[in-house]
Amino acid sequence: MEDVRTFIESGILELYILGDVSPAEKQQVEAMVQKHPAVKAELMEMEKALESYALANAVQPSANQRNKILNSLVTNLADDATFNKKDEASVVSLTEPVTNNFYKYAFAASITLLIGSLFALFNVYNKLQNTSQQLVAVTSQNQRISKTVNLMDQQLGVFRDTTYKILRLKGTSNLPSGGVMVAWSPAKKKVILDLKTLDMPVNDKTHQYQLWALVAGKPIDLGVFDKLPADTANMQEMKPVALAQAFAVTREPRGGSINPTMSEMMLIGKF
Amino acid sequence: MSKKIKLSEEELVLALRNREKIAIEALYDMYSASLYGVIVRIVIDEATSEDVLQETFVKIWHAFSSYSEEKGRLFTWMVNIARNLSIDKLRSKDFKNHSKNQELENNVTSIDEQRNTVYKPELMGIKELVQTLKPEQKSILDLVYFKGYTHVEAADELGIPLGTIKTRLRMAIIELRKYFN
Repeated sequence: MEDVRTFIESGILELYILGDVSPAEKQQVEAMVQKHPAVKAELMEMEKALESYALANAVQPSANQRNKILNSLVTNLADDATFNKKDEASVVSLTEPVTNNFYKYAFAASITLLIGSLFALFNVYNKLQNTSQQLVAVTSQNQRISKTVNLMDQQLGVFRDTTYKILRLKGTSNLPSGGVMVAWSPAKKKVILDLKTLDMPVNDKTHQYQLWALVAGKPIDLGVFDKLPADTANMQEMKPVALAQAFAVTREPRGGSINPTMSEMMLIGKF
Repeated sequence: MSKKIKLSEEELVLALRNREKIAIEALYDMYSASLYGVIVRIVIDEATSEDVLQETFVKIWHAFSSYSEEKGRLFTWMVNIARNLSIDKLRSKDFKNHSKNQELENNVTSIDEQRNTVYKPELMGIKELVQTLKPEQKSILDLVYFKGYTHVEAADELGIPLGTIKTRLRMAIIELRKYFN
């Protein structure tokens, strides 16, 4: 209690009311006011007295002030943002966002364009790749066809060439139904077997057919050939021979023999 | 003039806190004269005082959230705002230049205005009060309360020790309490 009285009598409350205290003193007074009801009551009494003194010394402002001041406050009340808006309006802030947006959009457009271009480029590249693959395929096909045509042309040439003699070999008692066409040009010494016309059983792996020419009673080896299961057979050029009275085909071990195995004679044809 | 509005201090504080329009009118009607009395005694020039009065109400309205009943009465808080704004105005460069011109040209009118404000009819009851306070108490109280001096400045101005200033200030307020409360 003694503390409270000393505090009150120190005169700090008066200075506090007059706003004439340091921040530390202000805190001290506020703490005391909260803690001690007596201090609070004393403060209140002083405030009331000074308030009355101010009222006794009051000066009425001129009548027009009331509306002026109330309007300025009501304006604030109605729209606190009014002043802020004015401030904003005076700031030249329009060009900046526009510029920003332009670069933003330009950048976005560039990226889009770049992605689009890459995509298109990729597509075109793929197409080009396909096309060149197709071109290679077509080229090789073309080459194959031209080879075939060439070959066929050659083969056709055999029949056009008047120096060729065509002879059909017929089956022996070993193979009564057999046969094959042989084209022979004595002038060019060329012998060609038309395997398309070959009527013989498919030879096994250990055997091959061998063509012979009979010249003055002696057999001359003209090479071996196969009867293939698939019908891919074509014309086959055999070893050359200038003179021949007859042609014969025997079945020989794979690779052929030096002398024909007479018991295995399949076909024979004479001029 | 429109009808004056009066509320209890509690009602007014509540209405101000709720940002009600009626609070603004009540605030003005209840306190404008008391506040203007302090302002005009510090600032003297009437037009400038009216500007300060407006600034005071604007500040009270905007800074109201910083007021707390726990720390004191509403008027104490408001009168300190009015006093500080008045002193700021008095010390501002614009006002110093302005008042110099006033001194040269409108010396007589300025004094007349001052006398006019002091002797307004509503202040007649003050005579009795003046007799209640001893002259040395009144001079210190008015210097601090109505002129915005700090107690240190008042001690300098009157050539009196700080302790004496504090004691007289306290005595003056005790006399006021006897008279008013």
